[in-house]
Amino acid sequence: MTSAPVQEGRIGASPRKRDGATLLTGRALFLDDYAPTGLLHAVVVRSTVAHGRILTIDTAAAEGSDGVVLVLTGEQAAQHAGPVPYFIDPAARGGNRTDIRCLQVDKVVHHGQPVAAVVAGTRLQAEAAARLVEVEYDVLPHVLDATAAMAPDAPRIYEDWPGNVITHNRYGSGDADSRLAESDVVVSGELHIGRTTTSPIEPRGYLASWADDRLTVHASCQNPHQMRWMLSVSLGIDESRIRIVTAKVGGSFGLKMQGHPEETLIALLSILTGRPVKWIEDRRETLMAGAREQVHRFRVGARRDGRILGLVNEITADVGALTAQAGWAMPNMSATTQPSGYAVQDCRIELDIVCTNKPPLNAARGFGKDAAHFVMERAVDLVARELDLDPADVRRINFIPTDEFPYRTSTGLNIDSGDFHGLLDKVLDAVDYPALRERQQAARAEGRCLGIGLGFELTPESSDSPGTFVSGFDTTTVRMSVTGSVTVLTGVTSPGGGNDTGLAQIVSDEIGIPIDWVELVQGDTDRCPNGFGNFSGRSMVVGGGSATLAARDVRDKLVDAARRLMGLGEGDEVTIGDGVVSAGGTSMAVPDVARGLLTRAFAIGDIEPVLESTRAYKPGNINHVPDELGRIQPYPTYSSSLHAAVVDVDPETGKVTLLDYVMAHDCGTMINPALVEGQARGAVTMGLGSALSEQLRFAQDGSLASNRFKSYLLPRAGDVPLLRMLHQVTPSPFTMHGNKGAGEAGVGGAQASVANAVEDALASYGVTVDRVPLNPPAVLDLMDAAMAASDGGAR
Amino acid sequence: MSCPLRLTVNGVPRCVEVETQTLLVHAIREQVGLTGTHVGCLTGDCGACTVMVDGETTKSCSVLALSAEGTEVETVESIADGDELHPVQEVFWDEFAFQCGFCLPGMLLTAKELVEQQPDADEGEILRAINGNLCRCTGYNTIVAAVRRVVREARAERGAG
Amino acid sequence: MMRYARPESLDEAVAALADGDATVVGGGTMVVPDMTHGRTRPAAVVDLCRAGLGGIEADGTGWTVGAMTSYAVLERSLVPLLARVAHGITGGPQIRHRGTVGGSACYANPGSDIPAVLVALRARLLLVGAQGSREVAARDFFRDAFETLRRPDELLATMRVPAVELPFGYHKFKLAEGSWPIVTAACVAGERLRVAVGGAAAVPLLLDLDRPSVGTADPAWRDHVRHEVARALSDVGGPFDDVLAPGAYKARIAPAIVARAVADALQAYSGEESA
Repeated sequence: MTSAPVQEGRIGASPRKRDGATLLTGRALFLDDYAPTGLLHAVVVRSTVAHGRILTIDTAAAEGSDGVVLVLTGEQAAQHAGPVPYFIDPAARGGNRTDIRCLQVDKVVHHGQPVAAVVAGTRLQAEAAARLVEVEYDVLPHVLDATAAMAPDAPRIYEDWPGNVITHNRYGSGDADSRLAESDVVVSGELHIGRTTTSPIEPRGYLASWADDRLTVHASCQNPHQMRWMLSVSLGIDESRIRIVTAKVGGSFGLKMQGHPEETLIALLSILTGRPVKWIEDRRETLMAGAREQVHRFRVGARRDGRILGLVNEITADVGALTAQAGWAMPNMSATTQPSGYAVQDCRIELDIVCTNKPPLNAARGFGKDAAHFVMERAVDLVARELDLDPADVRRINFIPTDEFPYRTSTGLNIDSGDFHGLLDKVLDAVDYPALRERQQAARAEGRCLGIGLGFELTPESSDSPGTFVSGFDTTTVRMSVTGSVTVLTGVTSPGGGNDTGLAQIVSDEIGIPIDWVELVQGDTDRCPNGFGNFSGRSMVVGGGSATLAARDVRDKLVDAARRLMGLGEGDEVTIGDGVVSAGGTSMAVPDVARGLLTRAFAIGDIEPVLESTRAYKPGNINHVPDELGRIQPYPTYSSSLHAAVVDVDPETGKVTLLDYVMAHDCGTMINPALVEGQARGAVTMGLGSALSEQLRFAQDGSLASNRFKSYLLPRAGDVPLLRMLHQVTPSPFTMHGNKGAGEAGVGGAQASVANAVEDALASYGVTVDRVPLNPPAVLDLMDAAMAASDGGAR
Repeated sequence: MSCPLRLTVNGVPRCVEVETQTLLVHAIREQVGLTGTHVGCLTGDCGACTVMVDGETTKSCSVLALSAEGTEVETVESIADGDELHPVQEVFWDEFAFQCGFCLPGMLLTAKELVEQQPDADEGEILRAINGNLCRCTGYNTIVAAVRRVVREARAERGAG
Repeated sequence: MMRYARPESLDEAVAALADGDATVVGGGTMVVPDMTHGRTRPAAVVDLCRAGLGGIEADGTGWTVGAMTSYAVLERSLVPLLARVAHGITGGPQIRHRGTVGGSACYANPGSDIPAVLVALRARLLLVGAQGSREVAARDFFRDAFETLRRPDELLATMRVPAVELPFGYHKFKLAEGSWPIVTAACVAGERLRVAVGGAAAVPLLLDLDRPSVGTADPAWRDHVRHEVARALSDVGGPFDDVLAPGAYKARIAPAIVARAVADALQAYSGEESA
């Protein structure tokens, strides 16, 4: 990394977040802060059974309740709204599908599924009336576990499917089974990844206003353009009559990608009442949204020196009920992202994506990729343990060599660049690995359980999925006014991470103007060019790339105009910096050039007087033409990181305490390092939560038991140690600035390093970690299992 | 049917109409019209609804509006002096101590209260103060760093004065 | 619409409760969210915020703690054990400002610090109702999870905490910073050790333990603790399951938590590092 000081506001500097003043003073408007005249409030009536046929819905009492304007059932809704189109249609992946409705019509398939809606003058009135809606169910047997759901006699969630599996797919190339047979050692393991949820502090919410045959929806969402299309399809309204505005978003992490039934529902309620209707999710509703839950059964074969030859991994993913949101598709990436950053060309990965009677998975930071690293990092540690090798050495011998990038993996991904050995060296230095191992020995001698865990994470970012709205390009308009100020209108959105600041840095840097001349407009489908919003760490890659192209067009036009206004020749070198155009000792302020071009268009010659450009940016490396093995390559860039966790485990209670944490991160060029670190620390903390404390639990009847923050344990300040951040920069050859996505790396690395550290800490007990979260009861269970295995004479 | 509620919000006497079961957070947001105070959980766990009631930080989702009759309430909107940000706000901005900003009412008000009441707060006291507020974006490191800096700078200022 | 009363004195509060159909709101940190989420739908509430039931009075024989005393006031007081426990209440200063010790006692959440501490302190609780007042021992007050001896027409007015001349210790075990206490232990160390265990069962367990002769790590003494915990648990129908931890887990770690509280008390006594 260069140590040269970067000028404030330029690419590579860390100017403060540009929305700081409004956020810090409480002036920023989030979705719930909008209250137009005539506003009505909606409450969703949800299923109280996990699986059942709807027999009757009695709305009479609710309709007669104070302030109630409308009560809508699924049957009534279906007369006005069609199915919600999928973000990623399972049929496009050869899977089973079902129509997703904004309110269920005949049958409910999970506890909490929307069955009716109440609209009233106040929220309290709507809540009171919602309690009066009586729904009678013919209760059907339900299944809450994916393995049980795959049994032939399991309750059938969607009756027209042959079973409860959405898709079964096999990934990987080579001949893993033969490699395992040839290996010196074969280790096997299981990994049960508990169900978590993203839980931004602002819940979801929508405010729909139907007026003059136009629909305006303010939404706390990530993808306004896709939502416009989705509402157009489900409601049969032309897209040109729909406007989506994303309010300030209070965190998202994938949850607020669209496809939720309430989006269509709230819009429909506004159409039916002719009034603005707002719905704000209750925290208990937010907590239903699953983020991940899968079981891996894996075997790896290795040579005696630790070199891994083959991998077999069977994945069973429990996605709950099917959703139009993107969440159900995440386990695909758990498969395709293996074998992570390791040069293992023989892999066989079998994936079953299974429905159960739990609420759906929703897109979540990591998007299934986190699990791929987690399982690989467990496998590497098990190989090291079996062969009595240092886990760091086993990583070193198996990492893709730095001179082999771009590198095509067994599953078909083409990793653009990286230096994984370099990351490992950085982390081992930072923790002083040899000294730490000595400290560990000393701690053990005192009866303490100190553990060190490593976790490598490869994060494919900025994905493109052909034929879906997971798009790998985006579009930006850069428009300079007659005063020289610039408005950037972009298709990417910011749920809080700060890409607006990064985009402003790029535009000001590319044109050569102060950053405070730049205004950003995001998340408004009537103003911004067509785009795809925020997901997959794409905003700085494709938002930044398209902003660069458009800014360069504007700069070129400024230079052309300046030559004419300043009487320069074609050969004179012109520079623009800090808002001033300079050439050969003379200069002219950018606003003067802009005014000259836009007010003296006919006087200055043959030049088109427009200081505006709209450009789309398609990064390189994406390839949707299947290779000879049928593999496609959907990501331009691959960030990488290496994590080390140092933990202390209390063997009496099973409690894990984090003592130290280091992350060495490589996302290529950093546009704003402070924002990159913010993303990384947030993702690591989310990973720590899922590794140690967060777990969605369901009662036997399928209702959510962990329905508040006292039972779903997000990390708090006291749970998180200082996360030490190190950076390595290997620029991507396939993106505009050499940057790679920086929004997701950390989840899988944190899970893996903590799990490995806990196993290391409890090595003397013979513990094998096979699950997360490793909350205290789970750790004691693992210790018991190890004890039972050794008592049983398993050796 | 509703009841009158008289209270002072950010120095301004107000009289608004609320239901008996109306929460203080909703009265502030909807009846008084100050939306800087946020609703995150309505269980008293996340801290986004934090306001000062008679000089003490309070989770306003766990208080009936009528319980606040006659009190002095200060919200996040009161921290800055017009356009001039309070040092706590400036430091939070400098240290990247927020991303989406939804948790800021709780983070800022507890940090400000801490530095005013315990100017010698150590690391443990800083964590004890902000542990009542959830943030899902930052991982807390920068928040802790910001509060630490606020405490340090306030102490230096006191020493200098 | 829910009826609402904001009495300005104990007498007014008792009168407002006479119908027996009102929910008492103290600090509100538990009761108000319950109402918001429909777990309770009271016809009436009696809000004690103006009833003047806060504050702590000391005399030669102990302390009288008003039911509406907040954790924040308590943590700045000299009331033994309670001051320290109040300092460690989860939820940030916002909860310590608002939450009250009497409210916590009446809510009787097994996963709460207060019930077991009141038992350890041999506190006596003054219940006042239209029919008169009565004083009950903390040990008798807690009947079951979320159930106390308080009748709907009664109010907890004060808690009488006798002076404690003996060293005491406390240990609280949580799964993470934001979790309820899973198991707590409060120890008052005299000739024998009086230990109240919270969280493990629906009601606090009261143990009468030998002092460890060698140290709290002594296996023989640990066996004694395990035995006493198991006996106390079976006396109350076994451990308490909740969404965060199964009862079996709580039963298993309870002896270790007791040992830590005892070590804490003995350390306070001897001023030396305890085993």
